[in-house]
Amino acid sequence: MSNALPQTNMMLFLFQDNRIHTSKYSILTFLPINLFEQFQRVANAYFLCLLILQLIPEISSLTWFTTIVPLVLVITMTAVKDATDDYFRHKSDNQVNNRQSEVLIDSKLQNEKWMNVKVGDIIKLENNQFVAADLLLLSSSEPHGLCYVETAELDGETNLKVRHALSVTSELGADINRLARFDGIVVCEVPNNKLDKFMGILSWKDSKHSLNNEKIILRGCILRNTSWCFGMVIFAGPDTKLMQNSGKTKFKRTSIDRLMNTLVLWIFGFLICLGIILAIGNSIWESQIGDQFRTFLFWNEGEKSSVFSGFLTFWSYIIILNTVVPISLYVSVEVIRLGHSYFINWDRKMYYSRKATPAEARTTTLSEELGQIEYIFSDKTGTLTQNIMTFRRCSINGRIYGEVPDDLDQKTEITQKKEPVDFSVKSQVDREFQFFDHNLMESIKMGDPKVHEFLRVLALCHTVMSEENSAGELIYQVQSPDEGALVTAARNFGFIFKSRTPETITIEELGTLVTYQLLAFLDFNNTRKRMSVIVRNPEGQIKLYSKGADTILFEKLHPSNEVLLSLTSDHLSEFAGEGLRTLAIAYRDLDDKYFKEWHKMVEDANAATEERDERIAGLYEEIERDLMLLGATAVEDKLQEGVMETVASLSLANIKIWVLTGDKQETAINIGYACNMLTDDMNDVFVIAGNNAVEVREELRKAKENLSGQNRNVSNGHVVCEKKQQLELDSIVEETVTGDYALIINGHSLAHALESDVKNDLLELACMCKTVVCCRVTPLQKAQVVELVKKYRNAVTLAIGDGANDVSMIKSAHIGVGISGQEGLQAVLASDYSFAQFRYLQRLLLVHGRWSYFRMCKFLCYFFYKNFAFTLVHFWFGFFCGFSAQTVYDQWFITLFNIVYTSLPVLAMGIFDQDVSDQNSMDCPQLYEPGQLNLLFNKRKFFICVLHGIYTSIALFFIPYGAFYNVAGEDGQHIADYQSFAVTMATSLVIVVSVQIRRWQKAQKKARPPSSQRPRTRRSSSRRSGYAFAHQEGYGELITSGKNMRTKNPPPTSGLEKTHYNSTSWIENLCKKTTETVSSFSQDKTVKL
Amino acid sequence: MEERPQHCLSRLPDNSALKQQELPAHRLYFTARRVLFVFFTTGIFCLCMGIILILSARSTQEIEINYTRICANCAKLRENASNFDKECTCSIPFYLSGKMMGNVYMYYKLYGFYQNLYRYVRSRSNRQLVGKDIKAVEDCAPFKMSDNKTPIVPCGAIANSMFNDTIILLHNINSSVQIKVPMLKSGLTWWTDKYVKFQNPSSKNLADEFRGTTKPPNWPKPIYDLDKKDPRNNGFLNDDFIVWMRAAAFPTFKKLYGRLNRTHHFTEGLPAGNYSFNITYNFPVTRFHGEKSVVLSTLTWCGGNSLFLGLAYTVTGAITWLASFAMMAIHIMLKNKKMSFFHQ
Repeated sequence: MSNALPQTNMMLFLFQDNRIHTSKYSILTFLPINLFEQFQRVANAYFLCLLILQLIPEISSLTWFTTIVPLVLVITMTAVKDATDDYFRHKSDNQVNNRQSEVLIDSKLQNEKWMNVKVGDIIKLENNQFVAADLLLLSSSEPHGLCYVETAELDGETNLKVRHALSVTSELGADINRLARFDGIVVCEVPNNKLDKFMGILSWKDSKHSLNNEKIILRGCILRNTSWCFGMVIFAGPDTKLMQNSGKTKFKRTSIDRLMNTLVLWIFGFLICLGIILAIGNSIWESQIGDQFRTFLFWNEGEKSSVFSGFLTFWSYIIILNTVVPISLYVSVEVIRLGHSYFINWDRKMYYSRKATPAEARTTTLSEELGQIEYIFSDKTGTLTQNIMTFRRCSINGRIYGEVPDDLDQKTEITQKKEPVDFSVKSQVDREFQFFDHNLMESIKMGDPKVHEFLRVLALCHTVMSEENSAGELIYQVQSPDEGALVTAARNFGFIFKSRTPETITIEELGTLVTYQLLAFLDFNNTRKRMSVIVRNPEGQIKLYSKGADTILFEKLHPSNEVLLSLTSDHLSEFAGEGLRTLAIAYRDLDDKYFKEWHKMVEDANAATEERDERIAGLYEEIERDLMLLGATAVEDKLQEGVMETVASLSLANIKIWVLTGDKQETAINIGYACNMLTDDMNDVFVIAGNNAVEVREELRKAKENLSGQNRNVSNGHVVCEKKQQLELDSIVEETVTGDYALIINGHSLAHALESDVKNDLLELACMCKTVVCCRVTPLQKAQVVELVKKYRNAVTLAIGDGANDVSMIKSAHIGVGISGQEGLQAVLASDYSFAQFRYLQRLLLVHGRWSYFRMCKFLCYFFYKNFAFTLVHFWFGFFCGFSAQTVYDQWFITLFNIVYTSLPVLAMGIFDQDVSDQNSMDCPQLYEPGQLNLLFNKRKFFICVLHGIYTSIALFFIPYGAFYNVAGEDGQHIADYQSFAVTMATSLVIVVSVQIRRWQKAQKKARPPSSQRPRTRRSSSRRSGYAFAHQEGYGELITSGKNMRTKNPPPTSGLEKTHYNSTSWIENLCKKTTETVSSFSQDKTVKL
Repeated sequence: MEERPQHCLSRLPDNSALKQQELPAHRLYFTARRVLFVFFTTGIFCLCMGIILILSARSTQEIEINYTRICANCAKLRENASNFDKECTCSIPFYLSGKMMGNVYMYYKLYGFYQNLYRYVRSRSNRQLVGKDIKAVEDCAPFKMSDNKTPIVPCGAIANSMFNDTIILLHNINSSVQIKVPMLKSGLTWWTDKYVKFQNPSSKNLADEFRGTTKPPNWPKPIYDLDKKDPRNNGFLNDDFIVWMRAAAFPTFKKLYGRLNRTHHFTEGLPAGNYSFNITYNFPVTRFHGEKSVVLSTLTWCGGNSLFLGLAYTVTGAITWLASFAMMAIHIMLKNKKMSFFHQ
């Protein structure tokens, strides 16, 4: 609906409607576009030309059906496949376009299909609904126009994000009439793909309000914890940030396809050469001999000169010799790939029983490229990790609890049995939670005060919100899964966080309800890397509870903690060594007087207009000191099953794995360590986190210098040869890097680094590193990184991901893999292969990929050999038949040679052959390397095949020639006739080429790799994993302000003034921290409402 | 994991050998011993074959007399197409030094006659030749119809260019007595040709059957009049015609002209002595720089006296042996090295 605006302004811009198209064709355009695309393939165009040539009777040396039947077959098959693919895209488009949403039309809420939503419409969203378009949030059910959205589809982050409406619009509430009268004008930036930025101005009621990302709900988000909200459509359909971020669907072709195209061109050149030689021969023959032979064979009309005859002969020979690249090659290649994809579908070892998902090859044309992957780009959340945080271990007062029993490990003595601690005695436990150490339970029962205090911190110091669902069960709303894990752990051990109000926290301590007064909330931010609460317990004691990154917190400890510190520090190292996320826990007793003074100062600082933040930060520093250490927690960001082994095995196969995630740097690094991509053995880990181009360039330069410097030292000491160097003669200088390096780069820096002049530096550096982690990247940046590697490294890339934010990356990589069995299907729909678990990647690449590549190469070598042997015989025969384009074999034999006589053995080889068993190729990932280096089928191999084919054709022609030259049958009949000769040749050809199906490579029967190369499941590490607070900065303030509390928890009147002190400016703070300067936005696009 | 809904079970791929890529397979393992064994036996086989073939090829006898130049005057006459009705004969005496035992075959041999030209090979009508439809001349360009639009029988360039010299072998027992060596003009063709691919139209009287058609332009007589002596050897079933119609693969070829009828004087074969060929020279070859000759030959089980196959086998066998010796040497060397390596 248009909000009462002059019609003329409406027409200034053509707004996109909300309909999305991911499909390529419509019914009308299918045939022309599809045919056009198909004939862009060199081979198809080539056969079309041949067909046209064959239709000319003067030069048609082979009947036209030899070409048209296979050609039509191939084109129909491809067209049918394309049509079905597009049909499914249409279906999914339709499904999305026909989703219902409530739109305010004529002052009434009406159901409307998504595709009919227009810019300027006001939409009502309900809880757990998908957002239909990019909206300006107007009002919501929550106080202050807040609403929560999950952006997993957009950036892969699963924690909830807060959006809040302008206060002027949030007053509109759910008042339909007032909303219908809303006539604000939004002036904003042009549609772009930046997910975390928005700039615009709302002009309404004679005042202007600046708009930023916090006021925008993007398409693809899901509304959570908010019963309803109203929004006005700003961008619709293809203009939405989600669609702007989705890369284009590209027609993927394998490198072998491209090589084949080149080879077809070469062969065509070769054919032309042969044709010219034979045509010249024909001209000479015609003028020397043929001329006199006219008594027996008149000239055709219009064919009176030897030169013209030569010209016609040229074309005739082109037709005859075209069988060098028969169309059946393409058919066979497709058939073989189809077979390989079925094997992937059928593989029980890639079937995930828990979700009943088999692996699926969604594209059937890429299978051999799976055997050539050099780079894997992996998403983190949902792909490498399960996005489940579990509390695994803790160290309390110098004692470790929760030693995980491990069959391979010696430390099993700590646990009595392998059964989890039974929490069922308690009410309100989270049943999913498992803990394997009974000692902690016992310590709690013994009443160890330190243990109690430790759990109390976990239950008190957090930003979790509690809620009771209809069944009366306690549900935690968590912003950060880490905190959720800690609070849940505390809950299961008897310290149950029950509820909170802005100034109280109620927990159940071993069965008794205790209410703590929340005096202050010292929130997390990136520099502090810790959070604290100051509470007054019922006894009246004031305590400061703090949790945070160990490195930060350890500096704040009271000197008396030294012994405990070193002990805890050891424990932390152990935890970190297992890839767990650690947090140090500490407390401090405060006396009343001191706190009151401090509190006063905070209030003053809050009231100050200048340097407010700095002063508050200083005050926080001031009170968070002389802490008493309690211990540390270790939370596991649960990896998907088998990720470590897969990563280790793939890196043994010389595949480089890059992690591209929308998540935080800390989290990403942590996961890097957890799955052994980053290790302490690494010589250096470069972190690029510059905020502008100059900084980034400087950092890159430094890293490179550092790397080359260190490298020089190493290579001076002893000569280190990389395997790759030996195999690849043209290895570039940067390949010579020795030692392990890792590069971590965040999204902002990446944006600068992807600018053209720094791009190469980045790439060079990244390729020298063993591991690359890109964090905080947008979907489009993911695709850009993939494109960068694709373009400049000329390497085969694979992208694997599970969410909508990975779609563009999946589309732009050579091979896209989607993790199936999840809720969202976008990644799977965009992917070429899909399966349920990351670990299946190992089998997909090392077994299926390797076999496919091996088979395809063998097949191609053999096929080219076979057809050269088959066809060049005509060339030799040309010298004995006056270059008259007479074929050696019968027409039918030529038509059927590739289809019938020699197809089955070679197809069987191409589909079934196994050089080594699947177990061997899994055990010995090094066997993967020939594929990466393109060793099995390249131009050199091709030449060898061709030479072999030529040799065979010579033998095949001249030996029968000699044998037939002066021969007679044993009954005197002459048998040197053309027919006998043709049959003899054809028979020997079939026998020879069939026998030639042999191994072009010797079976690589390598011994299993020594056990030292097996993936290690454990590693020692001194690295401390930092705590990754996944919640938004400022969220703490939000909690203490009570603004986000439901009305059913009315703030007690007693705490009114205190609520006031902290909350007056929370929303402004929130804005300030996240708003970009609005001054410089572009006004290219004006939305008028 | 255990509680799988029933409908999900169906998504689990079958556990068949095909689908799990566990089909039984045979893999060749090449050990040095096996390879050497195979090489040596192949070599022995080839050498034996080669020697046998060479010996048997050498046991045959063959006489070839090129009469292109000897009958130069006839050749000259034939170069002018207008002299087609002038008969020209030519006698070529020769001396057979040793007798030719067993079956003796007479061939004519053409040099430089391209029976394998693309347009030439296809210029025939198989439908006509099986006698089904003698007016089917579509494929016979450029000899489909005569000038007055009657179909040519047999049509096509192959038929038109049929070899039409008559060769008679005479044995001069002494200077005055000449006897004609009896030659059989039957059994010259492939069985399939005579009984499947070539058939006369059903009627008794061939001349009637071929009414409304015309003879090929180069032919002096129509098809039903080729053999005056043997009426059954006429029409499409004429042996010389069938032999000619089986187009040769190479520009140099020989075709069977007759078999020695081993009667009377010639039961054992051709005795040594003076012979002569009486040739009625009709077929012009000099115009395309071709040559023709007549060949007398005996045969063994492996055909004519071509040494090529025997030589090819011998050479292959020899190379195989050389290669296997080389491989054995390398094998032994490596083995010794390995042994010494282990001893260290």
